[in-house]
Amino acid sequence: MAAAAKEILTRRPVAATIRLTVPAGGARPAPPVGPALGQYRLNLMAFCKDFNARTQKYKPDTPMAVTITAFKDNSFEFTVKSPTVSWYIKKAAGVDKGSTRPGHLTVTTLSVRHVYEIAKVKQTDPFCQYMPLESICKSIIGTANSMGIKIVQDLE
Amino acid sequence: MLAWNFIKHFPCKNLSRHILRDSRVRPLCFFTSSTPPSSFSIFASLSTSSSSSSSSSCFTDEPFAAPYLSVRIHCPKHALDPFSEALLCFGASSVAVDEAIEEADQDETSLASKEICIESIFPVHEEVKMCISQAANSIGLKEIPKFKVEMGDELDWITKNQDLFQPVEIAERLWIVPEWTSPPVAEAVNIILNPGFAFGTGEHPTTKLCLLLLQSLIKGGEAFLDYGTGSGILAIAALKFGAASSVGVDIDPLAINSAIHNAALNNIPLEKLELHLAPIENSSSGREIPLQKEQFDVVIANILLNPVMNLADHILSFAKPGATIGISGILSEQLPNVRERYSPFLEDISVATIGDWVCMSGTKKEEFIDN
Repeated sequence: MAAAAKEILTRRPVAATIRLTVPAGGARPAPPVGPALGQYRLNLMAFCKDFNARTQKYKPDTPMAVTITAFKDNSFEFTVKSPTVSWYIKKAAGVDKGSTRPGHLTVTTLSVRHVYEIAKVKQTDPFCQYMPLESICKSIIGTANSMGIKIVQDLE
Repeated sequence: MLAWNFIKHFPCKNLSRHILRDSRVRPLCFFTSSTPPSSFSIFASLSTSSSSSSSSSCFTDEPFAAPYLSVRIHCPKHALDPFSEALLCFGASSVAVDEAIEEADQDETSLASKEICIESIFPVHEEVKMCISQAANSIGLKEIPKFKVEMGDELDWITKNQDLFQPVEIAERLWIVPEWTSPPVAEAVNIILNPGFAFGTGEHPTTKLCLLLLQSLIKGGEAFLDYGTGSGILAIAALKFGAASSVGVDIDPLAINSAIHNAALNNIPLEKLELHLAPIENSSSGREIPLQKEQFDVVIANILLNPVMNLADHILSFAKPGATIGISGILSEQLPNVRERYSPFLEDISVATIGDWVCMSGTKKEEFIDN
């Protein structure tokens, strides 16, 4: 966003960087949004309206990864990224939670094709565009393994 | 108290069914499911809010006072980004890094420059230790970072949020003033508000656009419909500008609650302002808002792209032919879709813009083809 670039150039003092997961179109001034932004005196309603408007094109309630830069004057900028890798993995694998004992207990398996598809989506994220697909894939495999989800060549 | 008068207009009949359908709305203390949609429970809630109307905390009821865990984690600086991402994957609701931490706060000066403090929020039932260790493992940290868990201070962020609301000058002699402040310009048209957690303080560009539109449209005696009323700000403003009556509709019971309170703050008599809780899923059979079609001279819907598109027919149906309809809550990039959706039914379409936000208005065609 041009606005974001301009802010960096004018070097507004940053108070904090906040990361959270918010359902697309579903931001409300309740936890976690409320306390996370409230602590830095950011206008909750403005964030909710803005975030909800900008995520109208996603399927409602898809968990979006948001990064908010809070400035010392209580203004803020935010970027919205596609759903977190773990969300995609869980969706692809059809499970609700990862394994309770990753490394020891495998919940389910996914194929390399799944990893590839997820990596392609993630590469469209604003800050991943410079990353080679292979690195993104490795990171996804790492997350999957730590969730107790094994990656195999082909699913039978 | 004026607030009690609004109970008559509060559509009690199907209230509990409407509210309990949306799982996102936290259980409300005043709408109990076991008892039938009783005016008793509503009386109870309104009595607490009207008796404490002077305090700004009257809307800090159950839904937003939901508990949470506030966790402070010490993380090695080099691993900050991957660790934050990992925490979110493993159960943290939010992760914040304070840029303004003084180095003097760090315990050991040798570690001061190598560690950074993360403020994290977790849901109450979450296993914080397990999440942190899984997050640390997944990025290859050798040790589990030190952390401290505290119960979240609900009141703290709620009060901080309310403190932000300052009097706003929308136009010359039109001010929106928080309940706990006295109007800066006593002779201006002052709308007193306590929005609670409903949308509409006058600060947002879309609210401003709608207020300015309303100011230009209302000449006196109009019937106004505020679809997606939030705090009730537009409905109340219309009455202050001279409209004969206002109706506010919203799917959020907390918004209706806020609007009732704000109407009382502005001494709006009950005959002038009706409020209705709309069903969340708009089914064509039954469950309709008890309003007549083609009843309103001015209709404004300041919501979001999807509702405004999905509810287009519905919103249009309440307007008289020749009435003015205003649509906002949409970004300028979303305007073409909205224009396309509404242009078969509206003429003289004009668009006002503030920043990225637009308000589209037009007049409902006298006759349109029903297909």
